[in-house]
Amino acid sequence: MTTAAEPERRVKDWSERYGPELRRHVAAMLGDAEEAGDIVQDLWVAALRARPEAGDAVNIRAWLYRVATRRALDHLATRRRRSALLVAHADEVRPASLAATDAAGGRLSEAAAARVRKGVAALPRRQRDAVWLRWIERLDYATIARRMEASPEAARANVYQGMKKLRRDLAEVWREEGPI
Amino acid sequence: MMRRCTTCHEEDVIAWVLDDPDADAARKLAERMAACPVCRERAVEYRILHLSAENLRDGRVIRWRRFGSPFGAMRVAASTGGLVALSWQDEGDDAFVAGLEHRYPSTPVVRDTDRLDPAEEQLTEYFGRLRARFDLFVDLAGLGDFQQAVLDAASGLEFGETVTYTEIARRIGRPKASRAVGNALGRNPIPIIVPCHRVVRTDRTLGGYTGGLRYKRALLDIEGRTDLLRSHGQTEMPLA
Repeated sequence: MTTAAEPERRVKDWSERYGPELRRHVAAMLGDAEEAGDIVQDLWVAALRARPEAGDAVNIRAWLYRVATRRALDHLATRRRRSALLVAHADEVRPASLAATDAAGGRLSEAAAARVRKGVAALPRRQRDAVWLRWIERLDYATIARRMEASPEAARANVYQGMKKLRRDLAEVWREEGPI
Repeated sequence: MMRRCTTCHEEDVIAWVLDDPDADAARKLAERMAACPVCRERAVEYRILHLSAENLRDGRVIRWRRFGSPFGAMRVAASTGGLVALSWQDEGDDAFVAGLEHRYPSTPVVRDTDRLDPAEEQLTEYFGRLRARFDLFVDLAGLGDFQQAVLDAASGLEFGETVTYTEIARRIGRPKASRAVGNALGRNPIPIIVPCHRVVRTDRTLGGYTGGLRYKRALLDIEGRTDLLRSHGQTEMPLA
């Protein structure tokens, strides 16, 4: 029988089992135990709202690590006063399943996203195709390779080259103009 | 200048961002970040970059694909609003994509996944004489008003129906502009779907066709208008 208390009980169970290692994980990223404690505390609230499927423990642990890592990185981005870039934080709340969680993300301000879109448009054709199909369309490498009439290895190499280029371009913009 | 750690692998951060298969990627990433400011900085940058994925998914993009047809390799492209280009000129992928990039600056032009399935299917059916009407959206935004009016008028022509350049000129309220109508149809970015081949001359000769008159003949042949072809002798390119 499922009762209203069921999700709370499950989340409490996770917090006891995974709480300590997650706090260490986040603290390592932030270099601050207190902030890490706050982020992990918020994680249980998010888990309660998102209600990831009970599933097997390995996946729950992966889900928690993923969300904790995102939140820690967002916290660092905010520290760097790039917070204006981040407009929504819907990723942890939206999904009904773990699979959906993996594909979900927050959003960037439109002005910042327009820069990225321009960067994607300017990538060499094959890098652009590969980046789009993997990063945006979320296809697997075998499918991408078929679409691109290339080997999976070549497709993957194109994705990584393209992503590096986008990251460098973005970092360049921030250095020159500060947060958008 | 920040010092790189000896284990800086940008690829690991990208793998994490892309969810490439690696169960413990988040854990590895945290260890890297704890040890190295460069890794930490990069991870934050990739995280922010990754946040734009949703915006990009919903935003402007041009998708294209190539498939085989009786006319040779056919390339078709669409915006989120509808088809924007169709071409079977032997130009290569690079030239086709470069044309789209020029027409849509700052918009990613990417390989299609499955959104252009209907376009390929319907064109294949048309060539197989299994389809008389296209059930597809076209996006003529960005073209001049005059050209849009001409292409709209041509879009109203049914399978097998032909009208003259002068008639199109009359229908768009510019009765003296039949030559300009011919030019506008000659620059039709979405031939076949926007059936400019159904516009002929007043004397029942075919007029022109960008890419070669033999294609206009072949299209009118598909549509059963052999009456228009007979006076010109043999069809130059019988369809496979």
